[in-house]
Amino acid sequence: MRPQINRLPENAPKGFAGTAIDRNRPLRFRLDGRIVSGFAGDTVLSAALAAGIDTVGQHRDSPIGLTSRAHPAISHASLANDPQFALPMARTPAQDGAEFVTFGVERSRGMARLFQPGRTLGLKLDAAHPLSRPWRTIPGAAETTTDLLVIGGGVAGLSAALAGARAGLTVTLVEARGFLGGHSGLFGTQEGEDAPEVSMARLSAEVEREAAITVLTATQVFSIRPGLARAHRIETAPGTSRGRVIDIAAARIIIATGALERLPIFAGNRLPGVTGCLDAYELAARYGVWTGQRAIVATGSSPAYRLAMLASDAGIGIDRILEARPESASRFIAFSRAYGIVQSPGTVVASVGTVRGGGLLAVHTQNRQGSTLVTDRLLVCGGWQPDLTLWHIAGGASAWDADRGRLAAQGDIDSIALAGSAAGYFTRRGCIQSGADAVDQLLGRERRPVDDPIIDPLHETPDGPLAIAAPAAEGAPSYLDAGIGLLQCPAEVPRKNRLAFWRTAPRGLTMLSEAPQALAVNEVAAGVDLALIPADAAGIVAQERVASVPLSVEQGPPSPDSWTPIETTEIPAFLIGRYGPEAKILRIIPEEARILEPGALIFPNTDTRHPDQSIGVILRHHSAGAVGIVAAKIATEYPVTVREQGQFVRAQTAPLDT
Amino acid sequence: MSDAEFDFAIFGSTPMAQLLAGLLGGEHGRKVLLIGQNRAGYRLPRGVDLSVGPITRPQSWAMLTGTSAEAARLATRIAGRSALSRVDPIFFAEDPRAVEALSHMRHMAGGFGIAAEPVGQSALGGNRSGMVLRDAMRLNRPQLETGLERWLTDCSVERLAPHSVAVDNDGAVKIETDGGTSRAQQAVLADDEAIVAWLPLRQWPTLFQRVRHASILTTPTRPLAAPIMFELDKGLFLTQQAEGGVAAFGPGERSAFSEHVHGLLGQNRQVEQAGQTSYAALATKDGAPAFGRVAGQGADIVANTGCFGAFIAPALARWLADRASADEARWFDQHLVNRTSRQTRVDEFQWPQEEHAA
Repeated sequence: MRPQINRLPENAPKGFAGTAIDRNRPLRFRLDGRIVSGFAGDTVLSAALAAGIDTVGQHRDSPIGLTSRAHPAISHASLANDPQFALPMARTPAQDGAEFVTFGVERSRGMARLFQPGRTLGLKLDAAHPLSRPWRTIPGAAETTTDLLVIGGGVAGLSAALAGARAGLTVTLVEARGFLGGHSGLFGTQEGEDAPEVSMARLSAEVEREAAITVLTATQVFSIRPGLARAHRIETAPGTSRGRVIDIAAARIIIATGALERLPIFAGNRLPGVTGCLDAYELAARYGVWTGQRAIVATGSSPAYRLAMLASDAGIGIDRILEARPESASRFIAFSRAYGIVQSPGTVVASVGTVRGGGLLAVHTQNRQGSTLVTDRLLVCGGWQPDLTLWHIAGGASAWDADRGRLAAQGDIDSIALAGSAAGYFTRRGCIQSGADAVDQLLGRERRPVDDPIIDPLHETPDGPLAIAAPAAEGAPSYLDAGIGLLQCPAEVPRKNRLAFWRTAPRGLTMLSEAPQALAVNEVAAGVDLALIPADAAGIVAQERVASVPLSVEQGPPSPDSWTPIETTEIPAFLIGRYGPEAKILRIIPEEARILEPGALIFPNTDTRHPDQSIGVILRHHSAGAVGIVAAKIATEYPVTVREQGQFVRAQTAPLDT
Repeated sequence: MSDAEFDFAIFGSTPMAQLLAGLLGGEHGRKVLLIGQNRAGYRLPRGVDLSVGPITRPQSWAMLTGTSAEAARLATRIAGRSALSRVDPIFFAEDPRAVEALSHMRHMAGGFGIAAEPVGQSALGGNRSGMVLRDAMRLNRPQLETGLERWLTDCSVERLAPHSVAVDNDGAVKIETDGGTSRAQQAVLADDEAIVAWLPLRQWPTLFQRVRHASILTTPTRPLAAPIMFELDKGLFLTQQAEGGVAAFGPGERSAFSEHVHGLLGQNRQVEQAGQTSYAALATKDGAPAFGRVAGQGADIVANTGCFGAFIAPALARWLADRASADEARWFDQHLVNRTSRQTRVDEFQWPQEEHAA
């Protein structure tokens, strides 16, 4: 059994003991045969991470970290290999005695499996779409009809649900995770606000009390159009979990899916131990999970400093904060200085490698001095991108906001509105107010201005541009995002080597259009930052390349009965005029018994063979034989030659009615 | 600041539009402006460039086979050997009229020296019939685009991103940009998107109809029967990308198009969509390409050239520069955009357009 080596102690301060788990109810389950221990409230993913399993497997000969955004599907061992029963690790509750297996990806076998490190699931990720979600191809069961569907249980979604209920609507609120509240916790408090945990708890409690609101947790919407959303829902019974795909019909839909954390681009940015700040915060706050004893933070966004301080309070050594912005100011930065955390402004990570003989990371920096730091964990934050995935699937437009360095929604969709961070709001107050505003928008009510009190840039430096290291000739790959797409930075097209015996390196992806997977909104944003996508095309590319699942009525194949029969003398338009305006239709009778194919050209003799010299063409067969269209000068009972399959066939013309 | 003056302003993003601009600027010594971006590197495919096509008319095969080698040499000169590849595309159909048309195409292609063979139903599924055209040439758009930028510069073609465009009745065009105003004596709207965007409605030819098109990309799947397949009944192309995904594009509303493509791929292929878009395209009412000046005096139009437009670009450039051979000039004259049914008929097989009218 794997001990919970990455579980923070029960008395960890600042909420890092894990609000979702009950340490009095330990449990054990099997994952790919190995025993994993955890607590009630854990997900399969959080328990695996707590047990020190932090690697999904190998992609392009490099290990890939196991995270909340990149994990394989699993299923109960007894139901393996049926997509109907596949489950996501991050949303599936850990259950005592359960036996799970990873789904749809080849695992290491035999001796390789015996000797693989205990920290890896050992999956081979080079196959096509290895981390795909199998339930996406399953038709949805018509489940619920509601006046208002709110997607996302963060503060904006909670506020929208409450506003909808107060407006007399029946509301269905769906949240992908097992609990409501969202991700406000990382972002702290601004002047005049209560603590994020207080806001989240208050709004969640109000929603739970409201009879008009149906809450569906562990339910992730993955496709949407006006009037309908399709979701994957996990239903849990004692000892088992079951996934179902459901369709929710809704007259109005609010998308409050928050913002996605962007991944700085450097070689090794998906290695185990490299973690997004939001992911690290949520795992610690909800499940008391933290990998390693020491960490380095690399960021261009100020909330990462808050995570550094919270981790420091929990006894984690924060060796250094690598700040991509040359100059930055923030209340979090000022506080973190008081913690004595060393900061290196204007420094980006050049590359990361693993240190042999242990789970340590070697972090190479790219600044004037250039240095290498060794640590247990690298926490990265490349800024924030509104999660416009469902907006794009629904047909919504977006455009690149050059000032903010991100895609922002544009225009409207009938009966669908955005709220919160997805709509581009920055503060908790703005997000909460935008939830109610979205309801007003959908009901055609007069809208009130949303107060989104962004702190003056003098005091709170906005997020910097995405940190991008110079391409490394060697080392681990660099990826455009931390999601399931595993999309690497496109490589330069190698120049052709003149020496034939000189083996060139295998080519990877050289341009985004060749990527065989959908592009996540973060990947499109990274494409703009890497100049792979022109900024003015970013919105259309994001809309084109979103992972859409069509929600349409099934159409049957065309019935052969619906085709109009072809008359014997019907002349297709493409033959009109070819043999003159007076062309006529005659029977073409070959000297030998054979079928003449439509399109076979008719010549006056065997000396002519160029199509320009043809005097007619076989139209088709009817019951009495072949019928051709020929030039007017061709008489009946006239000897002709038909060229078919490279051979000349002697034939004679005859009136059609003979 | 004085206005910049050009002989031609070419509007379009397809390889054909860019080849046309470069040929007019380089080989024919005209002063050329190009309005259109390279985008094969990041957009979903909306077309494919082949040295063959769903053609039934001998004149059109003669034109295509006469210029395709020249176009291929040009492409390799621009971007190296990777710009060109050899493929054996399959054209297939199920509707009896389309099956009949396929047979005509096969015999006509054979008459022009192209190895065209029937493909059995077992390879295509259902009641479909098909033909494979051996050793066709294909332009690899992304690779070609990597060389086009430099080549166009060498050909003294200037590129602009316009704020506004005004096409006059006489075909002259005024283009406003950040840097000022440019004028060209003759606008050439060289692809559907350019025509839809810039041709004034008052000049809209009666030959044209707007058609809703869709393009989708699937996640990787096992190889298709051929890397390029064309469904004649629907006007739909399937192309298998280097990484295994299938790009499909053609007429249809997006959701119905998607259903149809999934149906074509079959239930055994568990693919997801990795991209999708819909857009307005143009069709001619007789299914044949259209060239020349709208109403005989306005902007030049290049429309409905299907998959083979890039391979006739050298002849088109000669025709626009008044240097076409007699045969080339005759072919383009037969395909003028203001043609009527009283003139020489040039109809090609036409898949149903009415249901997709935009």
